[in-house]
Amino acid sequence: MSSLSVTSLNKSYGKLHAVRDVSFEVARGDVFALLGPNGAGKTTTIEILEGFLKRDSGDVRVLGVDPGVHANQRWLRSRVGVVLQELAVEAFFTVREVLERNAGFYREPRAVDEVIELVGLREKADVKVKMLSGGQQRRLDIGLGIIGNPLLLFLDEPTTGLDPAARRMTWDLIRTLSDQGTTVMLSSHYMDEVEALARHVVVLAKGRVAASGTPSSLGGRDLGKVAISFTLPSSVAVTDLPVTPSCCQGQRVEISTECELEVLARLTSWALAKDVQLVGLCVMRQTLEDVYLGLTRESLTSSEEVRS
Amino acid sequence: MATPPPREHTRTSDLRLVLHQVRYEQKAFWINKVGALFTIGFSVLFLVMLGATDGKQTISYLGNITNDDYYVPGFIAYGIMSACFSMLTINIVNRRESGLLKRLRLTPLPTWALLVSIFISTAIVAIVQVIVLLLIGRLGYAVPFPREWLAFVVVLVVGIASFTAMGMAVSSVIPNQETAGPVTSVAFFVLLFLSGLWFPLQASSGLAKFSNFFPVRHLLLAVRAPFEQQPGLSPWAWHDLGIVAAWGVVAAIVATRRFRWAPRRA
Repeated sequence: MSSLSVTSLNKSYGKLHAVRDVSFEVARGDVFALLGPNGAGKTTTIEILEGFLKRDSGDVRVLGVDPGVHANQRWLRSRVGVVLQELAVEAFFTVREVLERNAGFYREPRAVDEVIELVGLREKADVKVKMLSGGQQRRLDIGLGIIGNPLLLFLDEPTTGLDPAARRMTWDLIRTLSDQGTTVMLSSHYMDEVEALARHVVVLAKGRVAASGTPSSLGGRDLGKVAISFTLPSSVAVTDLPVTPSCCQGQRVEISTECELEVLARLTSWALAKDVQLVGLCVMRQTLEDVYLGLTRESLTSSEEVRS
Repeated sequence: MATPPPREHTRTSDLRLVLHQVRYEQKAFWINKVGALFTIGFSVLFLVMLGATDGKQTISYLGNITNDDYYVPGFIAYGIMSACFSMLTINIVNRRESGLLKRLRLTPLPTWALLVSIFISTAIVAIVQVIVLLLIGRLGYAVPFPREWLAFVVVLVVGIASFTAMGMAVSSVIPNQETAGPVTSVAFFVLLFLSGLWFPLQASSGLAKFSNFFPVRHLLLAVRAPFEQQPGLSPWAWHDLGIVAAWGVVAAIVATRRFRWAPRRA
């Protein structure tokens, strides 16, 4: 059974069609990323999944259950963890007190000490929340999201404002949860984070699904052109190369190709035979960020054309 | 496909949930020592100070009772209102605007359980105050306990419930944290003053007629009735109790319609 399944979801606010015909499916234990610029329909979709907003049409199942039905909400709340973007934890309680309070809301919570350990706050367990740094508070917030041992966890920009070490720690935590079978629905503006964590990605633009797939294949990223670049020694002329470069800046050469193996083979065997150094040789595929920007920019211009 | 999930909670588990939350509501109240002192200490301080200055003077137009006899029920009413109205309003606005209520709503704690817990916790604070004030009055100023306990308890229940509803209603119309404190305190103290908490009003005075529109004076009168020691005076102030309850009902309707969980977006 999939943890989340959305079929032909639609939602409008007056004349604004915020979500149009969105469908996706998330398997149990997956880390899934929903991406899109502000106003793309991300928040609306997530709030419908969390049961805060009513949909206009389409079918939505969270853990096999419709979140739009009021009678299902208490059942869902005890199985779904939500970590919002804004921090909100009682400042005058200690880390342990807040976790113990929330643990009491669930039938089968995780052990408080286990959660403190998981989010790396062992030294701060008996410290008041107001004495924690921003990053520590954010980790406590994630701790509150998982204290009920959820099957599904919504994480809204979990590492915004964290230092690199704390970010990596949060990544490890998300991987651990996923390994333990928790499905994670991630939203983030950091493409490196999405690439590091997500198994599946859906990009929304103007309320529609602009692309979906794995981070490495999104938008034909694995099939698209590859840029090979290097610097030629001044003794060698660009015209001597066995392949035609796409562009040159002085001695810096860039070759854009879809057959990177063949080009590399010809290039390196030529260089070895002539004893030429290819300084700073680099093979670059489009980054996820390039693909993401391409997808969301395209949707912006095309919708503007429709309007004019 | 559309089979509903099984119901997992029972009446016992729900009760346990409420008690759990009440414990943390209480903890949150007593942890903030300044807040607790302001809520409970103010009524005690006023009673002690006023009692020490002119407590033995008698009030001719109120059947020659002493000022102490007048102040003890007055500050009991004040204690109920400060806990259930001012303190609650500020507490709810702060928690709503800082996102704490929204956060709680994401947990399996049902809405009704949260509201019941807040109500119970507020009532505990009010009752602790009432007990302290009764004891100070009796031990410090020889003011007798209520002659009619049942009437006194009914007044407490109606007063606590109605002013809690008013606190909830007012919190739902206050836009932000910055205005919560000043707005409630000013409105509350002006009404207390006009309703005759610090100086007794003659029932026929213009001030009394004005403050009769508001629930504050009626609660003051309703709390005093069970203390009346004169034979022939009823311990039940039905008229005042009814007006307090009516305000409570209207407030409850406003509160259920306008109550918000999330902070107002800029």
